[in-house]
Amino acid sequence: MTREEIIAKTNAVFAESFEIEPERLKPEANVFLDLGLDSLDTVDLVVAIQKKFGVQIRDDERVRSIRTLGDVYDFIATIQQEKQG
Amino acid sequence: MKRVVITGMGAVSPVGGTAAEQADALDAGRHGLRAMPEWAAYKGLRSLVAAPAELKNEKAIPRQNRRSMSRMSIFAAQAAQEALRDAGLAPEGLGDGRTGCVAGSTTGSAIALAQVYETMLPEKDFSILQSMQFFQCLSHTVAMNLAQFLGLRGVLLATNAACASSLQAIGAAFDLVRSGRQDAVFCGGAEEVHATVTGSFDMLMAASTRYNDRPEAASRPFDAARDGLVCGEGAGILVVEELERALARGARIRAEILGFHTCSGGSHISESNRDGIAACMRAALADARLEPAAIEYVGAHATATLQGDGEEAAAIRATFGGQVPVSSLKGNLGHTLGASGAIELAAILAGLERGHLYPTRNLETVAAECAGIRHVTALEPTSARTFLKNSFAFGGIHASLVCRRWTEGDPA
Repeated sequence: MTREEIIAKTNAVFAESFEIEPERLKPEANVFLDLGLDSLDTVDLVVAIQKKFGVQIRDDERVRSIRTLGDVYDFIATIQQEKQG
Repeated sequence: MKRVVITGMGAVSPVGGTAAEQADALDAGRHGLRAMPEWAAYKGLRSLVAAPAELKNEKAIPRQNRRSMSRMSIFAAQAAQEALRDAGLAPEGLGDGRTGCVAGSTTGSAIALAQVYETMLPEKDFSILQSMQFFQCLSHTVAMNLAQFLGLRGVLLATNAACASSLQAIGAAFDLVRSGRQDAVFCGGAEEVHATVTGSFDMLMAASTRYNDRPEAASRPFDAARDGLVCGEGAGILVVEELERALARGARIRAEILGFHTCSGGSHISESNRDGIAACMRAALADARLEPAAIEYVGAHATATLQGDGEEAAAIRATFGGQVPVSSLKGNLGHTLGASGAIELAAILAGLERGHLYPTRNLETVAAECAGIRHVTALEPTSARTFLKNSFAFGGIHASLVCRRWTEGDPA
């Protein structure tokens, strides 16, 4: 999966699950402070990403260090590489 | 004891998205009964009729509030917004700790419960559930969503007593305000249509099954050809308020709540009985310090079940005789279950304000066991003000509320 595909699918999750307008979906946006997600939303973000990308990340400690949308892209890219590797 | 009045009302109903739209529809004799052919996919479900409400403008509720709301909580929030406007209360003043919320529904969201089970059980996999499904499944989902949406910091209670839920909510709100514990309470109930809900009644032989090809005729309270109830959905929310406060702020008062009672029948888990119903109505009258002769209209629970309608008719006959006008609005609205008490109370009040009583739609031939009371069978002009509203539920729960429409010049 290319970086562009990861970004498009991740942004789709934020638009579909959290109703965030496309223009606000910038890599540097903090998902909590800028995009307004809270602790409950992160539960649903994990579920939505799992479904969108066919991965299991619920028990992955690295989820806790995610701050920005760019962190989400990077994390998914890493997961995808690990899957292929 | 303080006096308690209704200063706001809102409804999302099978016949309209507001209390006023509902009254317009009832004025015109319209109904909300629909065929549900897609339910044929459920084996053993024989009742393929329902009274759905329309879900619209839900995006006007901020996502942070809406995410934990199922369909029925959205209906309740919209009805509460209407009630808030109707009451003329300032939204920013609701967090004073003196404004509470009492609301109920039969269960948590039937739609969310079904989704959770359909998603989780086949694979026995919790990792695919969303957090918000949990909040929609909780038994007190309507009350808690309503209170957080309105920013209330007062008493928060859930009266989940199936079809008596919203009348119990209004009764509990009445008690909270007359005792001085709260100044105002948003109260009522909500419900949503789902095959699993209708299936529950069908399984108990209480849902209509013979009118799937004629849904408009399926809900026929007190009628000789009735064969069970038709489940509906929506929400009814009232603002009840302490009289002196309402007068002091110049509120338009719709009605005074005079008395309430709720009690157990103590005899059977599902069958209602005339003695229990009569005892409840008499206790509500005693609470209101009124004799039966003071009641000018009875808003019946009458859901069109074979057993229940006959017992309620017998109780009304024994308590009020055969002269007091009686009707059930379920021929138009279906049975909106936990929402029915509040939705129907809003309809009755709107009707009285417009100077008429709504009839029991589809009542063509009064069943022998439902005779001996004065059925309203056509829109009827009235100057009635004092009325009693019944709601009953499985589990032998009865509830009766006594109200008097407020008019200019009432002793304050």
